[in-house]
Amino acid sequence: MKKRVFLIGGFNKTKFLASSLIKKGYDVAAINIDIEKCKELTEIDNLRVYHGDGSKPFILEDANAYNADIAIALTDRDDDNLVICELCKKKFNIKKTVSTIYDPKKTEFFYRMGIDSVVCTVTAIAGIIQQQAFLDEITTLASVGNGSINVTQIPVSHSAPAVEKKLRELRLPKEVIIGCLLRGNKSMVPRGDTRIHAGDVLVLISTEEHEMAAVRELTGR
Amino acid sequence: MFSKLLTKKKKNKKKDSYIIIAGCGRLGANLANTLSALGENVIIIDQNQGSFRKLAPSFGGITMTGDATEIAVLDNAGIKKATAVISLTNKDNTNIMVAQLAKKMFNIEQVIARLYDPECECVYREFGIETICPAVLSMQEIDKLLTTIPLASMEDEE
Repeated sequence: MKKRVFLIGGFNKTKFLASSLIKKGYDVAAINIDIEKCKELTEIDNLRVYHGDGSKPFILEDANAYNADIAIALTDRDDDNLVICELCKKKFNIKKTVSTIYDPKKTEFFYRMGIDSVVCTVTAIAGIIQQQAFLDEITTLASVGNGSINVTQIPVSHSAPAVEKKLRELRLPKEVIIGCLLRGNKSMVPRGDTRIHAGDVLVLISTEEHEMAAVRELTGR
Repeated sequence: MFSKLLTKKKKNKKKDSYIIIAGCGRLGANLANTLSALGENVIIIDQNQGSFRKLAPSFGGITMTGDATEIAVLDNAGIKKATAVISLTNKDNTNIMVAQLAKKMFNIEQVIARLYDPECECVYREFGIETICPAVLSMQEIDKLLTTIPLASMEDEE
């Protein structure tokens, strides 16, 4: 059986998510309070659209949200998103709830209220902008385990202390792994005897506290 | 109605009670006036400064302009030493959020929220939040009136 996903509120995000999730084979439904937006959403093939306030139990009931797999709250109000997720979880027994929030300070509170995944749009977008703006410098590509492990991209300049050294000659902390080496268009998984050249880009997997030590060893910064 | 409140409050009045009210609408303003007249320490929060005109000139509490769903605003209001938080804005979801913030992030013992829609109530009972639903209260009152009228007329006949 297809996994059932509910997208509640939002418009541009909902449109994009709906198309993408339908392509991946999910059974997707959207709930929106604005009739005009609903009309536009119906233009997406295979998307079920319901008109109404998604924080009201009877609307979720009309949409047959009971026991669905995922509910994603995308309204532009944090309080609405909180109530939507709590209703989905407690009353409609939806397995996983995801909420977008605007106020980053409420992330912890949302998790404490039992919401499975909290996405702060402001911090997420700020992070991406930073990544794009400083593309040629050290950038964090991804962080996993609630930010305790970072995947970081590090370009090696001509003046870096790691240039022309073999990997095993570097004094990297044990908690750090160089997972990938990008040289021109080629990528390789480096071994102990791999020599680092200027212009290489290293993809580092490290714990947060050892990241800076590794960066210093590699780039001298 | 308030006389009852008055006697009750007088009985177990603590010296350092500190009540935060979110939303200065008709109910919020009236409650703030009454509690203030009873000598309670009251702080009332509303997003719109104009709302505070509903407060009586004798209101002796503090007014604060801001969004009560923001942790920083609640912090500034001194929620850590609050004895009760009452959320009375005109949005159910806002009241729910304020109440849950007070209960879960600040461990306030007594938290009361007004909910226009009683349908969501089941979700919040388990959080230990007391809810007040105007529609349910009105229904009870009307029901009381309807059942007392025939009784009175029966007594007349006797």
